[in-house]
Amino acid sequence: MSESFAVEIDGVSKSFGAFKALNGVSVRVRQGEIYGLLGPNGAGKTTLIRLVCGLLEAHAGAVTVLGQRMPNVGVLRHIGYMTQQAALYPAISVEENVRFFAAINGAEEGVKEALELVQLWERRGSVVATLSGGMRQRCSLACALVHRPELLLLDEPTVGIDPQLRVQFWEYFRRLAAGGTTLIVSSHVMDEADRCQRLGLIQYGRLLAEGTPAEIRAQGGSQNLEAAFLALAGRTES
Amino acid sequence: MSAHRVRAITRRLLQGFRRDRRTLALLFVAPIVILSLLGYLIRGSSTAPEVGLANEDSGPIGGLVADSLHQSSHIKTTDISAADGDAKLKDGSIVAYIVLPADFTQQVGQGNIAPEVHLEGSQPGEDAPVLQALQQSMISIAGRGNIHFAPKVDYLYGGPEYDTLDYFGAAFVGLIVFFLVFVITIVSFLNERSQGTLERLMASPLRRGEIVLGYMLGFTVIALVQAVEVLVFALAVLRIQNHGNVFLIFGMEALMVIAAVNLGIFLSMFARSEFQAVQFIPLVIVPQFLLSGILFPVSSEPQALQYVSNVLPLTYAVNGMRDIMVKGADLTWPSLQLDLAVVAAFGILLIAAGTATLRRRLG
Repeated sequence: MSESFAVEIDGVSKSFGAFKALNGVSVRVRQGEIYGLLGPNGAGKTTLIRLVCGLLEAHAGAVTVLGQRMPNVGVLRHIGYMTQQAALYPAISVEENVRFFAAINGAEEGVKEALELVQLWERRGSVVATLSGGMRQRCSLACALVHRPELLLLDEPTVGIDPQLRVQFWEYFRRLAAGGTTLIVSSHVMDEADRCQRLGLIQYGRLLAEGTPAEIRAQGGSQNLEAAFLALAGRTES
Repeated sequence: MSAHRVRAITRRLLQGFRRDRRTLALLFVAPIVILSLLGYLIRGSSTAPEVGLANEDSGPIGGLVADSLHQSSHIKTTDISAADGDAKLKDGSIVAYIVLPADFTQQVGQGNIAPEVHLEGSQPGEDAPVLQALQQSMISIAGRGNIHFAPKVDYLYGGPEYDTLDYFGAAFVGLIVFFLVFVITIVSFLNERSQGTLERLMASPLRRGEIVLGYMLGFTVIALVQAVEVLVFALAVLRIQNHGNVFLIFGMEALMVIAAVNLGIFLSMFARSEFQAVQFIPLVIVPQFLLSGILFPVSSEPQALQYVSNVLPLTYAVNGMRDIMVKGADLTWPSLQLDLAVVAAFGILLIAAGTATLRRRLG
């Protein structure tokens, strides 16, 4: 069976000084799927995402994105990256922020569509510093997808936002994936995991388990994803 | 008012300092460094200015005065011919020359002496030791009755109509722009880091050089508007004298802006907070302020400090601004060419340094 992978992470290790953030992790993400990267804080999720977009270089192993070995500047045009904090310019408006990120990716025609997707078109003139946390998060998402990337990396996109907006975000993600975009979403909230097509569980820099939510439940021996995760985590520790 | 709560605030403040060694070091080391520098600058064995001496006196008294001048501790004299004087003033090898005229001995006999003093005049504080030395040399002829001493002083640049503001103004027009642009850049680049947008830029197709250049152009636009304002205010309101081309002043300011922006980007890599960024001011700006010739002519500094002054970019910038505004220099002047070249080279060096270190300390 030949499959097309948007991201191939092959036996990757990364250390910061004595701290081993990732230890021989291998992950493959199919084109057009929503892949959930799950694990507690400090597990290595952000490090893995930074490796995928070339911000960090692996000490061992290889990262291939859209057929190109990373780090590779040419691929970056096709990647959208939403950082953990809503990284925006607070002194300028919503539209000016989105237009800026569109411009550096050479895709200014996508501004209106991106703002409409996150329902900020009406608020496009508001200065970011005056926005609520949830609106900033939406603006940040718009900045990440304004150039219609083939691969969207979302580092804990739903942290600190209310349940209603969280539901909305997942609705956006589903629509993007339906349009062919590959999404990697990191989270430590287990109830989000069910919305992903496949999951990778990370702890202490290692991939504990991988599979569809149903497969993870089966591996962990529990109908509850959180219990399954804890069971899998406990198994590797002992 | 609760003493307990006040104490809690005080304690919290001091606890913060315990972990920020750099701030502590700055608080206690910087004052000593700055004061030592100032002390050495003013009291250190400063170099006496080079003065040319042309003794054309046909009589004996000129020789006496000349001997006395040679021995003066205020100036360092070399014998020159009066005809070479102006050329030597222009090339900067002397700051002044004194001519004892052919009838000097006769003048003494008539009780009314008028040696010629030709001053370069572009640096404040260089004239005083020359006139002082000349005054003291008159002691050597004090025994010869009541003599009226009226030196004929003229200036190659500047002159009596120049006041202190004219000298400082030329330097400050450039310094203000350099200083403010540096502070604004270092803080806003630090923001780019701390608010996480730099990480986003790094994950985009932007190249590092594009980020640095974009920043440079943005701040240059703002700073050039500021430069115009400063210049108009200095020339029209403060009426600081200017003998040079306004566009040359502007060009020099533009080069200083480029250097300042890139110095800000480069040094922002070494600061973790805005607090630490502001600490670069005493470290980067104060020594340059003291040593760049704004307050004291570089040629009068102790020799060891002159070596330092000669590698500071601001020294060349200040010199260039004075060349243009006080001396009316144009692009054909080798000294102005050097000043412009050094400031430009420094800017280019910093662009490279800023670009090269941009990737460091991303997280």
